[in-house]
Amino acid sequence: MKKKMSLAPAFFVGPHIILFLIFILLPTIYGIYASFTKWNLMSDPTWVGLDNYRTILFDGTSTFHTQFTNGLKNTLLFVLFTVPVLIVLPLLIAVALEHKKVKGKGLIQAVLYVPGLISISAGALIWLLLFNKQLGFVGNLFNSDVSWPANQPYAWIIIIVITVWGGVGGNLIIYRASISGVAQDLYESASIDGAGPIRRFASITLPSIRFPLIYTFVMTTAGAFNVFGQPLMMTDGGPRQSTHVLMMYIRQLAFGNGESIAGMASAMAVLLGIVILIISALQYYVMNRNAA
Amino acid sequence: MSNQMAEQVNKSPLINNSKAKKGSSISISKYISYLFLLILCVIWIVPVVFGITTSFRSQTEVVSSGFRLFPKEWIFDNYVTILENTSTAPILRWLVNSLYIASLHTFLVVVVISITGYGYSRMNFKGRDTLFFTLMGISFFPGVVNLIPSYKIIDSLGWVNSAWAMIIPGLAGMGNIFLVRQFMRGIPKDLDESAHVDGAGHFRIYWSIIMPLVRPVLIVCALFSFTGSWNDFLWPVIVFTDVDKMPVTAGLLLLQDIYGNYRMIGQLMGSAILAIIPTLVIFLFAQKYFTQSINLNSGIKG
Amino acid sequence: MLKKKWGFSVLASVLLLSTVLTGCGGDDNTKTITFWTPLTGDDGAYMDQLVKDYNATNPEIKVKHVITADMYTKISTVLSSGKGVPDLSIIHADRVPGYVKQGVLEPMTDVIAAQPELKQDNYLPQAWSTGTIDNVQYSVPLDIHANVMYYNKDLLAKYGVESFLDDNVVTIDEMLSLQGKLDEGDYVVNDALLGWVILAQIQNLGGDIQQDGKPAVNTPVMKQAFEEVKKVNDAGLMTPFGEDGYLMFQSGNVLFSTDGTWSSTAHAGVEGLNFGVTNVYSTSADKFTNRGSSHLFAMLKNEDRSEEKVAGIGQFLEFIRANSMEWAKAGQIVASKQVNESPEYKNYMQSFFTSDEKETQSLYIYTYEYYPYIAEAVDTYCGDIVRGNVDIDETLQTMQKFVEDKIAESAGAAQ
Repeated sequence: MKKKMSLAPAFFVGPHIILFLIFILLPTIYGIYASFTKWNLMSDPTWVGLDNYRTILFDGTSTFHTQFTNGLKNTLLFVLFTVPVLIVLPLLIAVALEHKKVKGKGLIQAVLYVPGLISISAGALIWLLLFNKQLGFVGNLFNSDVSWPANQPYAWIIIIVITVWGGVGGNLIIYRASISGVAQDLYESASIDGAGPIRRFASITLPSIRFPLIYTFVMTTAGAFNVFGQPLMMTDGGPRQSTHVLMMYIRQLAFGNGESIAGMASAMAVLLGIVILIISALQYYVMNRNAA
Repeated sequence: MSNQMAEQVNKSPLINNSKAKKGSSISISKYISYLFLLILCVIWIVPVVFGITTSFRSQTEVVSSGFRLFPKEWIFDNYVTILENTSTAPILRWLVNSLYIASLHTFLVVVVISITGYGYSRMNFKGRDTLFFTLMGISFFPGVVNLIPSYKIIDSLGWVNSAWAMIIPGLAGMGNIFLVRQFMRGIPKDLDESAHVDGAGHFRIYWSIIMPLVRPVLIVCALFSFTGSWNDFLWPVIVFTDVDKMPVTAGLLLLQDIYGNYRMIGQLMGSAILAIIPTLVIFLFAQKYFTQSINLNSGIKG
Repeated sequence: MLKKKWGFSVLASVLLLSTVLTGCGGDDNTKTITFWTPLTGDDGAYMDQLVKDYNATNPEIKVKHVITADMYTKISTVLSSGKGVPDLSIIHADRVPGYVKQGVLEPMTDVIAAQPELKQDNYLPQAWSTGTIDNVQYSVPLDIHANVMYYNKDLLAKYGVESFLDDNVVTIDEMLSLQGKLDEGDYVVNDALLGWVILAQIQNLGGDIQQDGKPAVNTPVMKQAFEEVKKVNDAGLMTPFGEDGYLMFQSGNVLFSTDGTWSSTAHAGVEGLNFGVTNVYSTSADKFTNRGSSHLFAMLKNEDRSEEKVAGIGQFLEFIRANSMEWAKAGQIVASKQVNESPEYKNYMQSFFTSDEKETQSLYIYTYEYYPYIAEAVDTYCGDIVRGNVDIDETLQTMQKFVEDKIAESAGAAQ
């Protein structure tokens, strides 16, 4: 058996590795190389060694240091605010939808999934209008007198609201697909045995989705670290840059007005990549150990 | 349309409440489930309905004070304006392009991820997990600045202005493979071990044992890939120059104004609504299948 | 099973159909001028019409208009790969100094030499000279699009302050005179394009954003500009921070809106909004400035551009110079004097800004090479400064450092 398998893995994972080398590894290596250069995206990069990293990490007076620390701090806040909700809420919904007697599952699922299809610019506009003091329901129905995008904690709240609104559907259908893999018989026999909903969740549902759960945790976190659309559209980073996330700074440096400062942007991106790498590795390690 | 949806959601608890008078614990938990789902659905659907109705509002009404979920006067001008502009915007052509790109991409994604996912979860070879996690780790580096090298690669393959530029590079992604791998790890080992003993090769096991079991997640991945490919607009804007070859999301950007695209709010909403209809239809079609319950012993139950 | 087959056949037929549809096409690149513009939306349609009109004159080489949604990124990609560089493109005024310094712009010398009417005298002078660097002309202007001030006629009448407009300049003092006199929910001015307004005040106060080629952000003039505008906010006359002042103007709750010439078409689409246009408010009655940018025709470096094409570009630009009335529909101030001095142009609201010498001079375009970084700094911080969220001195220091750091990082790469 072992001899027969020697070539088979190459057939199964090989084609993807070739694609990966061309379309991900090569550009990533170039991106990492660019982080050691000064580069305006157009002419050839000039090698500057560790200068960019030194500036970002250690030069306390530099704008890039301030941007990086502020951006990373805000990105971490965004991750902390949204990831738990994006994991737990869909799970609760999936469990509620698993209830045998609940009718209209497809419809409910569709309603919760649709926002994820709407483009971020349109979605942001909808929410900004809804939260508008004059034109929206928040001002008119609840008599709120605050300008949400310009005051904390409201600025964070609207960013979280639109993120959760648009993001719940994806994880929900992953959970639904995993739970559907569980034989209904298991639930039925558990019900007959008198197991309550919490017991059933803990002893049947949760174990059955432990592997997909690791996936949603790791990937939702990695995705949240890359956030920029929601803060950009909802608050433009304000007030006082308190919602200005790292990816917004990176994009401004690389693709802003004026000459591109892509080398510095690359260095920030590489540092962000390292942060994501460490955190997801930790998540995977902890969860996988508990799941095994 | 969405109004009806909302109503149905509103009504359903009542209907079912009267029916169910069995075990009290079941009806309490059901009641809580319903209340929870109902509240969520209302919060989720109101902005969508508001977005849809806004696409039927005139700018005059959009800026008039006070909140109205439904327009005072329904107008279709926004859609007329979007669809009329056919000289610069062959919208039907864009839809066909998008359909071609997204379908072919999705089909290839499913092939690649199921085969690769099988390799990383059900096969044993030296350094398997190390290889997987290395690739995974590399893919975590944000690709913002990689636009230029990516473009150069596409250029040297001769794919600028070609649908391949959107169909192929996405196949290299790790996310879906990770998901499929996780699902396949959840399948008991003895299933394929006994098949091995019976003399079945990897391809047979992959095709006739594992594939049917992971069908729900493959459908989910297909859905994500289709939506992702359909909604991508940063990359196609860079690789397509010919208006005729563009997918719809990139094309619609050409209709929006440069100075902050909210100048005409109704129009922006209208084009956003038009763009999601196809993905919504695909979702409604697909969701029948990914929640199909599967019995490990007797296959797909229905 | 049946469903599966059906699904496959749909997929197959879609693929087939699309291959057939996308299979055809292909241009003869030597016989067309590829012309890239960032003009999305209605602007693109107006430009399309101009190109169509030109091609209808049966020129030897026709123009192919390509609208790109993210043109500057796209320009970076084609320049770095060296292939697919457009023959002609429209770029914004603030890009010119940077592009020239990086050596990616071709001088317009040959084009201008072949077309005697393509000269400064035939255009708004500042639009033309924004493309002149070291006596070499790198661009030919299409328009100036400026920050201007719309006013709500009904509200001016309601508060009896039509007299503000008498001398064509609304001063900050005039606006402050309305303090405490407005109904609840009404405001004197919004914060649309606030950064542009600040940069206009710099001119009104006689300052600049550079000194001997060095960026000058942390200056007394800049501070004064912020403080003057801040007075309006502190008096409660500016639309609240974070609210969409642009929409509030359209709602009819704001007397003045400081947005762009290009918004006139959108404002006109709002029923019952009775509005006019004037100069952006000023710190003094003696001077007013309408900060603008300009759409410029320019040629990116491309070795494949033949002499014939260059001649064709010249013909096209001459056609535009003589026939760009269509462009006035976009709300922009057309740069060609032949157009903006014609009687028909008077039908457009923006003709106000070329109505006399003083108006024409009020259109100001910054040409400092690091202007984009300064504009970015001002845009990033102006809201918080004007709203009193931050200490002004400290923030000006931060802004100065912001610009200097960016310049330091960019300069080396250009060498």
